[in-house]
Amino acid sequence: MNANKSSDISDEQLTVEQPKSAAPSTLALAFKLTFSHLEISIKQNISISAITGIYGDSGSGKSSLLRVIAGLELRAKGQISLNGTALQDSDNKGFIKAEKRQIGLVFQDSRLFPHLSVYQNLAYGAKRQINRQLTIEKVLALTQLDQLQHQNVTLLSGGEKQRVSIARALLAEPKLLLLDEPFSALDKSTKSQMLTILKAIQQQLQLPMLYVSHSLSELQYIANQLVVFSAGKIIQVAPIHQAIHQLNSRGETSPKTSLSLTIAEHLPDYGLTRLTLPATKSKSHNIYLPILEQSNSQRLIGQQLPCIIYARDISINKTKPEHSSIVNHLPASISVIQYNKTNALVTLKTSEQEFYAQISLWSAKRMALTTQSKVYIQFKANAVHSYYFTEPTPNA
Amino acid sequence: MTDISADLLALITTLKMAAVTTVILLIIGTPMAWYLAKWQSRFKVFFEAVVALPLVLPPTVLGFYLLLAFSPTSLPGQLWQSATGSQLAFSFSAIVIGSVLYSLPFVVQPLQKAFEQLGEHHLEAAAMLGAGPIDRFFSVVLPLTKASFITATALGFAHTVGEFGVVLMIGGNIPGETRVLSIALFDHVEAFNYANAHLLSAGLLMASLLLLSLVYLLGNNFNKKQQGAEKL
Repeated sequence: MNANKSSDISDEQLTVEQPKSAAPSTLALAFKLTFSHLEISIKQNISISAITGIYGDSGSGKSSLLRVIAGLELRAKGQISLNGTALQDSDNKGFIKAEKRQIGLVFQDSRLFPHLSVYQNLAYGAKRQINRQLTIEKVLALTQLDQLQHQNVTLLSGGEKQRVSIARALLAEPKLLLLDEPFSALDKSTKSQMLTILKAIQQQLQLPMLYVSHSLSELQYIANQLVVFSAGKIIQVAPIHQAIHQLNSRGETSPKTSLSLTIAEHLPDYGLTRLTLPATKSKSHNIYLPILEQSNSQRLIGQQLPCIIYARDISINKTKPEHSSIVNHLPASISVIQYNKTNALVTLKTSEQEFYAQISLWSAKRMALTTQSKVYIQFKANAVHSYYFTEPTPNA
Repeated sequence: MTDISADLLALITTLKMAAVTTVILLIIGTPMAWYLAKWQSRFKVFFEAVVALPLVLPPTVLGFYLLLAFSPTSLPGQLWQSATGSQLAFSFSAIVIGSVLYSLPFVVQPLQKAFEQLGEHHLEAAAMLGAGPIDRFFSVVLPLTKASFITATALGFAHTVGEFGVVLMIGGNIPGETRVLSIALFDHVEAFNYANAHLLSAGLLMASLLLLSLVYLLGNNFNKKQQGAEKL
């Protein structure tokens, strides 16, 4: 972990483009925590390399999991360790207090100190740190708070409060940062701005994070791994796209295709941005979505963009749909047809990428679709969703 | 000794008693209020009732039992005498101890309420930033409950200044030691010395009114600030 806190972070590296690699952190959990309505029982090792999302319904115990890791739930019984260092060992009456764990927690409700200014809130954590690697000025820049540092925190907007809350947590220089639905109270555009800032911070500082949310699209944009939580138990830990696809078959969420695409070029004349999906070694498929940037900026070119396409937005053609206004069409072969009560969920493969299409039972019958059928899938540019914010780079 | 200089001496004794009592009350009342605010047990109500007792009990009842306890024939009185070499009953220390018990609810109750309202949220945030319990108290609790500390201090002080029954029972009327303003006033009335009685009464009335007005003014200003803070 010490490698993560290397002191060679200079302002020139304040860009999203060059993430440094770091060894993943290992969080070993084996504990029980009983409430009157719920028993949380977890035995799981989680390897966190960037941002691990924790997904589950409200009341499933996600927040309690973070509180146990943070050391705020004194009733939890069991063993918890981070990178081999025990944080809690109930058998040997071992318990490291929250203030000694070097774990940060960003609460849903900010919890800024109202008697302190923005700067003083940030200094609160920094002052109590022995090995200071980060300066308040650098964190103010990372969180885009330079202009607000002398403000009274009670006068900030929701998004500003959460940025202060994140900045304050970063300055306590945690080994692991926990975020408990930090942006759930924000509007969509502020939320996407926050997600982009947070992602840039993660890549810049190489700080492992656990991010709790009940919004799958938010997690899809920010996390590289997903922990699925249900009724106090972890039911799945998988890479993000795989985890979302597995949730499709469980039928609890609206089925969707989750994938990362490479940004290739902006086409201002057509109002589209072209993304690529690798097909063979030399060839790739093009996927278009509404233009991300009006300018011919090269800044985002080559970056990976997490995208979601809902299964209800993908249709199937038996022939190549060349005379259609729908811009995206890819050859695919059907691998699974799952018949539900009112529709059919078709799993298709293009190269190595899985796509999900939801069609009516009638269409499935009329087209006589079978597995291994060679078809074309098509979807509008507007059907490709991503949390993307146009000003992702922090102004250093 | 003239009446005026005797009254001045009584005023000094009163202020000294009230100041010492208030300091002791803040030192013991703060942790008591903290535990009462955080403690979750069936027995909590019993301790709350004990703290609140002086609000309803005639001061002479409290004074009577303290007099018994402080006498050289009882154990607390004997322990005091062997530790300090002087008698506890009818001493300045006796009226301070009596005042501490008598004014306890005026300090503990506002603090307890403030600690309950403060809740755990900001304390948890402080812990996650590396602040230990003592650190949290001085860096978070104290600044956020400042208004209640001012209220508790003022009420504890003012109530101690105005006390009569307990002091009369366990302190008596020794000039420079236990003769406080309320007792001096009683003496004047008994001697039909209404001019001096008026002076003391009006003085106490005005001082108390001023003190309370100041407390409510500070409290109101702080509440307005806190309403902004609750949105955090």
